[in-house]
Amino acid sequence: MAVLSPRRLATEVSQKPLVRDTLAGRRKRSGWLWLLEHTLARDVRVVDQHIREGRFQRGLALIAGLSAVLGGLEVTLQHYRGSYSQRVMYSPVFLSPLVLLAGVWGFFSRRVARTLLPISSLLLLGDGALGFIFHVRGIARKPGGWRIPIFNVIMGPPIFAPLLLGISGFLGVIAAMLRREDDPPRVKAAGLPGQRPAWLGLLPRGITREGVILEHHVREGRFQKVLAAATGVSAILNGVEALYPHYKNDFTYKVQWTPILLAPIVAFAGFGAVASKRIARTLLPLTSALAVLNGAIGAFYHLRGVVRRPGGLKHSFYNTVYGPPLFAPLLFAATGFLGLLASLLRRAD
Amino acid sequence: MTTPHTSGDAVMESPLAGAFDGATPGAHMLGPIQTLDTPMRRYGPHDEVDYVIVGVGSAGGVLIQRLARAGFRVVGFDAGPFWDTERDWVSDEAGSYNLYWNDLRITGGSEPLAFGANNSGKGVGGGSVHWAGFTPRFHPSDFSVYSDTGLGADWPISYQDVKPYYELLELEIPVAGPSYYPWGDPHGYAYGPHPMGGVGDVLINGCTKLGIGVSIGGPVAITSGSHGDRPHCIYRGFCIQGCKVGAKQSTLISHVPDAIRHGAEIRANCMVARVNLGADGRVTGVTYFDPDGNLREQHAKVVIVSGYSIETPRLLFNSACPGFEQGLANSSGVLGKYLMAQAGTVVLGRFAAPIRMYKAPPAHALTEEFYETDPARDFVRGFAIQTVGPLPIAFAKQMMVAKGAWGWGMRKVMMDYNHWAALGFLGEILPWEDNRVELAAETDRHGLPVAKITFGLHDNDKKLIKWGVDKTMEVMYAAGAEEVVREPRYAHLIGGARMGNDPRTSVVDGFGRAHDIPNLFLCDGSIFPTQGSANPGLTIQAIAARTADYLIAQGAGVVNRPPRAVPAANPPLRRDLSPHSTAGRGMPRLKSKTPKAKLGLGGLAAGNRG
Amino acid sequence: MSLTNKTQDMPLPPDPNAPRPTIESGPPATTPAGRLPINTRTGQPIQPRPQPGYYPGFSTLSQQKFWDEATRRVVLARVNNPPPIRFFTPDEARLMRAVIERVLPQDDRDEAHRVPILNYIDDRLYHNRIDGYRYEDMPPDREAHRLGLQAIERIAQTMYGQPFIALPPDQQERVLKTIHDVEPPAAHDIWRQMSIQRYWMLLVQDVVDAYYAHPYAWDEIGFGGPAYPRGYMRLEGGKPEPWEVAEQRYEWSGPLWAVSNEYGPIGAGHETITPGQEGTH
Ligand SMILES: Cc1cc2nc3c(=O)[nH]c(=O)nc-3n(C[C@H](O)[C@H](O)[C@H](O)COP(=O)(O)OP(=O)(O)OC[C@H]3O[C@@H](n4cnc5c(N)ncnc54)[C@H](O)[C@@H]3O)c2cc1C
Ligand code: SF4
Repeated sequence: MAVLSPRRLATEVSQKPLVRDTLAGRRKRSGWLWLLEHTLARDVRVVDQHIREGRFQRGLALIAGLSAVLGGLEVTLQHYRGSYSQRVMYSPVFLSPLVLLAGVWGFFSRRVARTLLPISSLLLLGDGALGFIFHVRGIARKPGGWRIPIFNVIMGPPIFAPLLLGISGFLGVIAAMLRREDDPPRVKAAGLPGQRPAWLGLLPRGITREGVILEHHVREGRFQKVLAAATGVSAILNGVEALYPHYKNDFTYKVQWTPILLAPIVAFAGFGAVASKRIARTLLPLTSALAVLNGAIGAFYHLRGVVRRPGGLKHSFYNTVYGPPLFAPLLFAATGFLGLLASLLRRAD
Repeated sequence: MTTPHTSGDAVMESPLAGAFDGATPGAHMLGPIQTLDTPMRRYGPHDEVDYVIVGVGSAGGVLIQRLARAGFRVVGFDAGPFWDTERDWVSDEAGSYNLYWNDLRITGGSEPLAFGANNSGKGVGGGSVHWAGFTPRFHPSDFSVYSDTGLGADWPISYQDVKPYYELLELEIPVAGPSYYPWGDPHGYAYGPHPMGGVGDVLINGCTKLGIGVSIGGPVAITSGSHGDRPHCIYRGFCIQGCKVGAKQSTLISHVPDAIRHGAEIRANCMVARVNLGADGRVTGVTYFDPDGNLREQHAKVVIVSGYSIETPRLLFNSACPGFEQGLANSSGVLGKYLMAQAGTVVLGRFAAPIRMYKAPPAHALTEEFYETDPARDFVRGFAIQTVGPLPIAFAKQMMVAKGAWGWGMRKVMMDYNHWAALGFLGEILPWEDNRVELAAETDRHGLPVAKITFGLHDNDKKLIKWGVDKTMEVMYAAGAEEVVREPRYAHLIGGARMGNDPRTSVVDGFGRAHDIPNLFLCDGSIFPTQGSANPGLTIQAIAARTADYLIAQGAGVVNRPPRAVPAANPPLRRDLSPHSTAGRGMPRLKSKTPKAKLGLGGLAAGNRG
Repeated sequence: MSLTNKTQDMPLPPDPNAPRPTIESGPPATTPAGRLPINTRTGQPIQPRPQPGYYPGFSTLSQQKFWDEATRRVVLARVNNPPPIRFFTPDEARLMRAVIERVLPQDDRDEAHRVPILNYIDDRLYHNRIDGYRYEDMPPDREAHRLGLQAIERIAQTMYGQPFIALPPDQQERVLKTIHDVEPPAAHDIWRQMSIQRYWMLLVQDVVDAYYAHPYAWDEIGFGGPAYPRGYMRLEGGKPEPWEVAEQRYEWSGPLWAVSNEYGPIGAGHETITPGQEGTH
């Protein structure tokens, strides 16, 4: 498959009618994009265009892969703390690199993006759900179980962490449904035989019907609501996952409050964006950008926390395992990124 | 009751659905989830069983599980109760009195040892019920102390002989620890390390400042992750009071349930009074007091005594009979001698910032940097430094000795409890003939003479303790303590019926078989010739598993063949005899690079059953 | 809400270099106020309270619903049903009580919140619960306590010509200090039957065994108390659990006459250090 250089891609694409239309019809664009337009290069507009049309399979495949591997690294360390005492604890450790592989490979290969990517992503999604069940059970099996929920949620397996990893899987599934950046822009996607992933044919018709419509929207880039809702869910999960370890640490640093305060706002924006186009174009990108920033700051503080632990770098492995989780804030940043992406999309209506 | 205050916080006033209930009626609980579900097999008064085990403690628990699984008819006796952990154990210092061997012993010598809570347990699980759970291996050098230094004694076996059992028991217990443990024979652990408590941080800070290596988060016999129906540790710090959580291993929860499932009988609250000798020079069984105090007899083909360093020699002394007037199996006259403890001085440091050392298990970090003989020092052998976490009563007694506190001074220093951290020095004390167990004139409630223990330090011990305690105090200061004091103490009994190749200078051979009596075995801490400066519990359990493999491999030959005709090579390693919760657990880990012990040279079929 | 329960807000430990008023003398030991500990900043006696210590409002008993039933039963029985006096004779009990009041004074506690130490010691001796050993130079614990009381009485007579219980607290302390220092001026025939320092340790141990087993003492020193099924989560940095209380220090000392304010090794100058009695590792 020929890989187009971004520049050539850009010039080619900007010649296409729809692109010209959109570039002219500025009012359709969100305010901040309008600003961007004036400051950033044309490439950005092209990417934006691709996203709006659902032609960013390659990009999203990469994003899914990267976020899976972030979550995967986190879970590898966290499950080490739990000594991999159940064999099933290895599953996310192996699945997340698989999604990374599928994502990267899918960037280059259309085939992989339609086969390995959705399969591995679905597995990761399922594994997240399964992990969630196991974590709920793990808390129940701690002394006192769910009767002392605060203590056992804090000291037990992190309840929502598997679902967070599942979101990477979700992104991979979405990516598999998208068109590729180098696809012709105005094709009737659902009508094209052979472009639908083969595995969808295995499902009964009744189920696929809804799926076809959704898929159609997705392929057209009209799935802002879905991604915005996913952003909202992810923000809540992240918020809770930040709340109780920070509470455990007694909020020694004021900055530990920030992800907890920010997460509900991002979630509000995400869910709000489902109902309101306005929010999707204003609050969602704004709060999402803040989440990205917060995640970055958090990652810095966590790194500092690891280095400052007793023994510091001399015991860097132990301190990485038992210090503040290095990758958790980056997962929050990934949520923000998701929100940004959502804000760029078109809506189904 | 007057409780005028409410506590600072109440996110929750009480657990959901109210206060917690206790033991489940009808179920024998061995933790919050684990129950003993199978009815126990009972042998009749006239049944002759294959094995009688006296003392179901650290060693006895492992032995009985192995032998039962291999299909033998086994009865274990323990002088103490068969605990129900929910009903009998409390998370309270004073309330845990019953866990210890509190029957009278007389202690003397220039440095008399303290017993009771300081030294030994009573009840199924024995000392493993109240140990802190530090489980370092012995170093290869521990097995050849005399050859290396000209002091102490050599073992008839080497590290390589025990090593496969270390690896196996570390999985069965399971031992949590770092993925790379640098001292002795370097290796990694199957369960991950634990988080640190305040005292661990003190040890790490102090050691790191001084450039001393430190092992963080283990090796300890505490689950870092669930293990079958045993939950993850909840960091409550009551390990020495018996772990109600079932996170810290005791053979009661790790091996005994499996033994009972495989047909072993355990007679709790039964004190064995004597081991009986037959006319043919072989033991025939034991005489014991049943729970109602009646004297009874149990016949067995083989008797294994696992009563620990004081009670094992005492039982053999009390079993003296024509032919063995100085104590059963004591033709050498060595029985009771070469008793050892380790110097367990507690070094306490006061810090400006609070520590709250009662949280987290007392055992969670250590250094063995000073374990080996260093020619630059004026003594041989070495020591370890470990974390400890005394609760208020223990701490008050430490302040009584270390600062001479009493009266208002005691009240005041105790109010600073949360500012103190404690490190445990653990120094090797060499075996000396005059440190010994004998019988006293006094008797216990059964009319059995009690043990009298004489203990004192020798020159090398004193120099080692002085140097090592100073080093420990230096670590404490380096960690930032403003005031550092110490309480001398002795821990970990070992010896009293030592193993060796020469029947004139030892009581048992390398497999614990009495030189004098072919079907009498000793298996517990009492048979160790030396004990390094590692806590002995893991090695006691590993040696028990090895002895069991030997007995299983020998089958009926143990009883039938004369001792000299029985091969002395290592038996085949029986991984298949691990308790059922072991399979499929534990992370891949570093096994050391030293060559594997030569296994299975005995030429006996692995499946040989009695 | 505990979310505001900040560690940073914890008062810093007092600066040892800060200038502080020097208090030379407090109220005399013979007055009621003279029995009280004093605030070393103000020199004022600290009035008896339900709960001395740096953790005001902290109550382990308030957490009892989070304890398992077996532990709750044991601790509540300890608090609510102190055992009766059955071992000591009334005379011995009076003397022993006076001795205990100096070995572990509770004058800063109000009447309702004193720990009945004597009752627990009496109960141990009544049931002859021993620690699993006896030093060869000691009589059995029961006898040792009886002999010890006789010796204390005789030292008091020798030093001050009065019974121990009639002495003011400062003189009582000085009587006991002679045993702590292993230099008792009287009762040498008794000390031939038992080791002086081992008797001292037996006495102090029995007393702290009883006092620091009590929830009131836990609250005083900020110990978290029983912890099962709920364990601890804030393991590092000395942070309090959400249900614990951050330390609020104040400066105090025992009454100025108290010789027990000073620390010094048992049997100072004698080369006889007895090893500790409690298991740790
Ligand atoms: C406070 C404390 C902390 C410790 N911490 C550690 C640690 O961190 N790491 C470590 O490795 N070790 C530790 N130990 C030491 C460890 O507990 C012992 O070394 C170990 O348990 C000894 O094992 P054993 O099998 O030889 O004897 P035990 O486990 O003591 O078993 C002996 C059993 O035999 C029974 N028995 C004895 N005589 C008779 C008889 N005549 N009839 C019937 N039954 C009898 C007893 O009731 C007992 O149950 C600690 C000990 C204490 C006291
Ligand atoms: S700290 Fe862990 S191992 Fe120790 S008693 Fe508590 S739960 Fe058990």
